[in-house]
Amino acid sequence: MRLKSPTRRSARLLAVGLLATSLALTACGAGSRTGAATATKVACDFTNPAQPTTVNVLAYNSSAVDPYSNTMVSSCTHDNVTVKHDPIDFAGQVQKTTATLGGDSGTYDIIETYSFVVPDYASRNKLVALDDLFAKHQATYKLDAIDKSLRDAMSYNGKLYGLPMQTQVLTMVYRKDLFAKNNLTPPTTFAELRDDAKKLQDSGDMKYPIALPWSASADISTAYKATLNSLGKNFVADDGKTPNFTTPESTKAFEEMKSLLPYMDPQVTTFDQPKVQQQLYNGSAAIGIMFSGRMNDLVQQKNTKLYDQFAFAAPPSVEKGGKQYGALSVDGWSIPFNTKVDQDLLFQVIAASVSEDASKASIPAAFPARTGLDQSASPYAAAAEAAIKGAPPAEAKPWVPPITSATTDIIGSVILGKTSVADGTQQMQAAAEKVLAGS
Amino acid sequence: MRRREFWLLVTPSVIVMFGFMLVPLYRTVRWSFEKVEYGTPGTSVGLANYTGALTDPRLGRAVLFTLGLTVVVTAFCLVFGYILASLVNQLRRARPLVLGLLLVPYVLPHVVGGVAFSWLFDTNFGGIFNYVVNGITGGALGDPLWFTDAWPNRVIVALNVVWYMLPFAMLMILAGLQGVSTETLEAAEIDGASPLQRHLYVIVPSIRGVLGFVLLIFTMDVLRVFDSLIPLSPQAVTLGNESIMLYIYNVAFREGAVNLGLGSAISVLTIVLILVLLYPSIRNLVREARAA
Repeated sequence: MRLKSPTRRSARLLAVGLLATSLALTACGAGSRTGAATATKVACDFTNPAQPTTVNVLAYNSSAVDPYSNTMVSSCTHDNVTVKHDPIDFAGQVQKTTATLGGDSGTYDIIETYSFVVPDYASRNKLVALDDLFAKHQATYKLDAIDKSLRDAMSYNGKLYGLPMQTQVLTMVYRKDLFAKNNLTPPTTFAELRDDAKKLQDSGDMKYPIALPWSASADISTAYKATLNSLGKNFVADDGKTPNFTTPESTKAFEEMKSLLPYMDPQVTTFDQPKVQQQLYNGSAAIGIMFSGRMNDLVQQKNTKLYDQFAFAAPPSVEKGGKQYGALSVDGWSIPFNTKVDQDLLFQVIAASVSEDASKASIPAAFPARTGLDQSASPYAAAAEAAIKGAPPAEAKPWVPPITSATTDIIGSVILGKTSVADGTQQMQAAAEKVLAGS
Repeated sequence: MRRREFWLLVTPSVIVMFGFMLVPLYRTVRWSFEKVEYGTPGTSVGLANYTGALTDPRLGRAVLFTLGLTVVVTAFCLVFGYILASLVNQLRRARPLVLGLLLVPYVLPHVVGGVAFSWLFDTNFGGIFNYVVNGITGGALGDPLWFTDAWPNRVIVALNVVWYMLPFAMLMILAGLQGVSTETLEAAEIDGASPLQRHLYVIVPSIRGVLGFVLLIFTMDVLRVFDSLIPLSPQAVTLGNESIMLYIYNVAFREGAVNLGLGSAISVLTIVLILVLLYPSIRNLVREARAA
């Protein structure tokens, strides 16, 4: 039973149609690999290399990082230098960073790093120390205006390994209209947060008033760490040998986290930050705590009709008088140890991308690392500043990333109620001890 | 064909197979006996990776989940692929259009299809499935926790795999149906065979080879399911809905240790498992090829 010729003709037409559509769709993406064409142009006056040089940049795409990477591409691609940056998500950046730093030759010449990973990479000599280059170009690019505490956050053993571009800090967002309607004030403790959420539930305004990024496969560990830090404990005691997971504070951290569950969507353990944003866009939640880089999206009219109903504040502390449920992350640029491109040229490229003009242009999408900038255009800047001041000090140690990876699934299991708090903390302790023994 | 022409034609395939299949296979087997970090030569650890894999309860859960998914999806797609192919086979002018529409899920990247599929069940993005079913049934479905309860999550994962694999089954079976002799079918009809009997006793035996091929491909493909789980089962590990491939990815790439050695050992064990499962299908195909 063979296909008759009209049918074959139609099948061929269909195949051609599908192919043409595929090509047309893929062609739409070609040429628009980044938003560099519309980025701010700044001075990027390196000494022109004798040979054509390509600088490959690895940086994830987000509204807070894009202004810097786009400026880098648009301003530093001239003469013999071509700066290339392909779009990638955060998970992709994490994997490609591991791969590019693995061998003697890598794929990238500039990589986006953040304070969480710098100690780990720096302790393994995967990044170039930038102190000499910083001193050499400090005056040209006014680098001393980059907040000293943020430079410290990108340092390890007193050496600078990343040039800070912007800060991300856990910041609280709330619906000012619903808070006003129910006579609520922004919570400063978890107890107040629960009270506010209960009142919103009781008023019938919101079934699940709180939305937090508690994705069991990733963000949940940030949430647990923020809770533990708020209670005054780090992952590992000051001796660098004893994990703190079996301490009363660790148990308390889990209890406090679980106490918020009645006020959150039952599937909150699948929520990453974009999903929390979506909850707020939809009006399904009234209070959220996310990194500050996500906040500007909430006040964009194109994203939600509730764009003018959001207000911002520093996040609450877990207990009265404690540190905030906070996490401070500094994003910056690093030079991988295995780049073949001139390091002086690379430093000037990254310095240009965090120059004063570039940093100004990143407001309000980002909270720049430079001090003295006018942030009045940013709706969340005051809240972010308060959050930075009240955030617990970062545990800048190389063991934090591997312990985080080793314990994330256990934390998720405890929050989901599949593992008891007692068993979970014991399992986390054992996993962390294994990491510390191997480091 | 002369020997020189033969080698001229065969050499590119041999080079491609060597480069893209045998070299990675060799590296995987070698790494499975080593502790490996990116960019550094591995150090031999003997059978430690295999011991680690076989004593990890996650591997058992992943194998169980993947096998269960393979059985359910394959059985469903064989039955409904056959029904669909029979219906499409009746069409004349509309066949290319219907075929084109049915093939869209198959040609769409799985992760893209998975994300769109997840939105059907995610109230954050409308959750149209709950809305429609509750509308029809007067709220009988309720509000299942599609992403955080193990069984509802298994259902949507299976539905998604069926969604993109069913067109392939249908297409293969349709090709088989077009090879069924019309004389035999007419003879069966004259002999008084009912439509169901014609399917069961004439058509299905005639396309047994095609069905065997579909079974073979499905066993290989569903056992390697991975990308659908990224959007559809964000809590796969905790729910016990981690497929073997996702488990390998998590061990070898995602989790902090980046344990390529252990990941390679699990990959080798998976290859053995797939070969064991495929043995009956391959044996039958070889037998039929010899008989033909």
